[in-house]
Amino acid sequence: MSRHSFLESTLQGFTRAVAKALQSEHAASQPGLLQQLDPRVRVIGTFALVVSVILCRRLEAIAAILLIAIAIAAASRVSLASLAKRVWLVILGFTGVIALPALFITPGEPLFTSPALHLSISVQGVRTAVLLVLRVETAATLTTVLVLSTAWTHILKALRSLHLPAEIVTMLAMTHRYVFLLIETANQMFESRKSRTVGVLSGSERRRMTARTAGVLLSKSIELSQDVYLAMLSRGFRGEVRLLTDFRLQPRDYVGLTAFLFTGCLAVWMGR
Amino acid sequence: MASTFEVQDVSFSYEAIPAIRGLTLHIGEGDRVALLGANGSGKSTLLRILDALYFPSAGTVTFKGDALTEKHLQQEEFLLSFRRRVALVFPNPDVQLFNPTVFDEIAYGPLQLQWSKEDVIRRVDETLEFMSISHLRDRPPYRLSGGEKKRVALASVLVLDPEVLLLDEPTATLDPKSQSQVVDLIQQWKGTARTVITATHQLEIVEDIADRVFVLEAGTVIAEGTPAEILSNTDLLLRANLIHAHRHSHDGVVHSHPHLHGHSRHEHEH
Amino acid sequence: MLSRGPTYNNAPVEIDEIMHIPDGYLSPSTCGTLYLFAASGWYAALKRIKQLLATRAIPLISVFAAFSFVVMMFNVPLPGGTTGHAVGVGVAAIVLGPWGSILAISIALAIQALFFGDGGITTLGANCFNMAIVGSFTAYVVYQTIAANSNLKSRQRVLAAAVAGYVAINASALITAVELGIQPMLFHDASGTPLYAPYPLHVAIPAMMIGHLTLAGLAEAVISAGMVSYLQRADLGLLRGVSGLTQTPGTIIAGAGPERSQGRLWWAVALLMLFTPLGILAAGTAWGEWSSADLMNPHTREQIAAASGNHAPPPSVPVGIERLSTLWTAPFPGYAPGFIKSPVFGYLLSAMFGVGFLVLASLLARAVGRKWPGGNLRS
Repeated sequence: MSRHSFLESTLQGFTRAVAKALQSEHAASQPGLLQQLDPRVRVIGTFALVVSVILCRRLEAIAAILLIAIAIAAASRVSLASLAKRVWLVILGFTGVIALPALFITPGEPLFTSPALHLSISVQGVRTAVLLVLRVETAATLTTVLVLSTAWTHILKALRSLHLPAEIVTMLAMTHRYVFLLIETANQMFESRKSRTVGVLSGSERRRMTARTAGVLLSKSIELSQDVYLAMLSRGFRGEVRLLTDFRLQPRDYVGLTAFLFTGCLAVWMGR
Repeated sequence: MASTFEVQDVSFSYEAIPAIRGLTLHIGEGDRVALLGANGSGKSTLLRILDALYFPSAGTVTFKGDALTEKHLQQEEFLLSFRRRVALVFPNPDVQLFNPTVFDEIAYGPLQLQWSKEDVIRRVDETLEFMSISHLRDRPPYRLSGGEKKRVALASVLVLDPEVLLLDEPTATLDPKSQSQVVDLIQQWKGTARTVITATHQLEIVEDIADRVFVLEAGTVIAEGTPAEILSNTDLLLRANLIHAHRHSHDGVVHSHPHLHGHSRHEHEH
Repeated sequence: MLSRGPTYNNAPVEIDEIMHIPDGYLSPSTCGTLYLFAASGWYAALKRIKQLLATRAIPLISVFAAFSFVVMMFNVPLPGGTTGHAVGVGVAAIVLGPWGSILAISIALAIQALFFGDGGITTLGANCFNMAIVGSFTAYVVYQTIAANSNLKSRQRVLAAAVAGYVAINASALITAVELGIQPMLFHDASGTPLYAPYPLHVAIPAMMIGHLTLAGLAEAVISAGMVSYLQRADLGLLRGVSGLTQTPGTIIAGAGPERSQGRLWWAVALLMLFTPLGILAAGTAWGEWSSADLMNPHTREQIAAASGNHAPPPSVPVGIERLSTLWTAPFPGYAPGFIKSPVFGYLLSAMFGVGFLVLASLLARAVGRKWPGGNLRS
């Protein structure tokens, strides 16, 4: 373990977050299937499909939705390879590992027994493990495709159109915007500490460094928020927030929405 | 000439620390004024008082005859009118760019002042054009360079066509090219009805951006005059901590000379 | 249940990371119910924050949410050479108060789910409830109780922050474990296959708690304590709580007094008590907690068999159990004094008793804390 590995991982996390933002911006501008639809339809449609994923009781129905999700991803110019690397494999390594013990400890009719190891895998165990993994994979695929193909501002405006309170939407927007500023600030702080530190730090020294960086970041954040407040007042902010939404539904949006809802209902009905 | 700001004997403190003490000045319509002072001299605080973001603990501030008091600013009609007519540009553009995209940022002011949707869109596009940033329309602020952020910040206040522009350190943190763009913009307003008050500590731009200079130190005005008068008064500038004195030695003789930043040639007696 | 923080894939999974529940682990009705709980929390928090901070609220909460989002990404070095991730709910509750903290943490979680695609969208309500709501209240109440009226610069405050962060994370972990643990019992198909999270309470709870009692809880404690310590030196005003962040720039008013913190404590107690009947939902008798009488009674024998994968319990009471069962008779055997007939009521009663005990214990901790050097009452 390199002497500054905890700093390294944190810094890598920052880099990945920024890379994600850029990737999303790129993907959202591609001329794919989802990108053609009104953002509200995308949000509602994705949510509806995820809900049907968790309503379904049968493996086959969920698998069907997964295939549809993959098709949508491909049609929306989302690279399947990157989906596999970033979503499917990660979930397998995570939920897959979590689900593993369920094979053995779920009570039910035995499928396979190893008397030597005193272990037995039940049918119910297999079914529940596969169900869980499939559900998580499918839902994650759907949400990832939505998030990649839709610009953040459009997600916000879609939520606003769907009657989320204006203050909440404003806070989401402002938070997102300042996340990147604070990441940059924290990045600079960690980089400079990294370069100024000679030798190996003890555990408590490293903890203190982390806590102190967080502390400085907090002070700067509060100061920033006070200045932002003044800037808002200066431009006429009086407590209410007015946003500009200019979405217009087109015929293909109705088609898209119907397709989403129909698929969801069909899957739930067949998978009941 | 009609008066724009009348500041009479104003004081203001942050908690226990006084920032402005007994400050008095008058600014007329169409004036281009520079507030010159080192950090901590109170110029940022003064600008915020002029923008009715802070209210003084003593003294009065009047804008075109209207008193700027907390109570008066709570009246919606006056508030809407004031916010449109007076605009403040902060030193750190990140503070002023709190919306998701450049378009949203510039649209923010008109939206809060309840313009119609069509008017907002039309005016924002006009302003983007004017500031030559139409290509940045849908960009999020974290993907803008320092100079671009400054132009967006300026655009976000110019969209309302304000009568008064309060600029707090407009050229700080900018590269030379962006700096000169900002200075050019300010020069454009010479002779118009727009009043421009710029707070800065950068002496080299003062002549270009102002016809009158107020020098601030420790929260009060210590001198007033034309740029030529003020900039040639080295004692004053030293006192206000706007220039510093170097000590150097030649052949065993030590001199100390005050010199201005930004001057590449130093001419001094030996 | 172990989950990823906002690392956006490709990152090695760390075993102690914070407890975001992904889509698929909770049934639709659980998701819906928790969304309702969360929504009422958000609604109440928004109203309170607007009262307390008026127009200042939007920039303050937003930037704080951004701050906690970034802090969630920090790798906090822990004793033993590992690292953990904090949520920042400790700091949020101390600086913003519980309502501001609810909003700030919820917004950070929402950004994770909606922009980075981390964490589920059907489970966003649940995650917000567990971390933002339960976490904030717990942190706030514990901090106020232990810190009480002590001097803003005292070590007592640092200790209070550490404990508050630790307890808050574990409270969140516990409630998460309960939500996951009741899934197999409530939601399974005809053949007994669990449809969502597959582990019952007696597996889910230890599994989750171990990771959080050791790693995640410590990370939160380190960050909370470290930040309070930093603020004591660098920015004392922020420690005065939410009323210190009022409208007039440059003016700071003293924070909430002891009466307010007492009120909060009873709030939290009421909340805790409401959750105790969940224990009832654990099938029949808690697995393993049988007395000899249970093993003899044919009705309970059936229940035991059902809960044990259809293995019948031994025909006669094992000798060990026989011997030990007479050793200790709990004051409330079967969780209810003899005269209480309804199990639910009995549960509530014992919950109140248990909680009362906890309250006494924390008040005791506060009294002890006062005796520390530097822990003087503010005069």
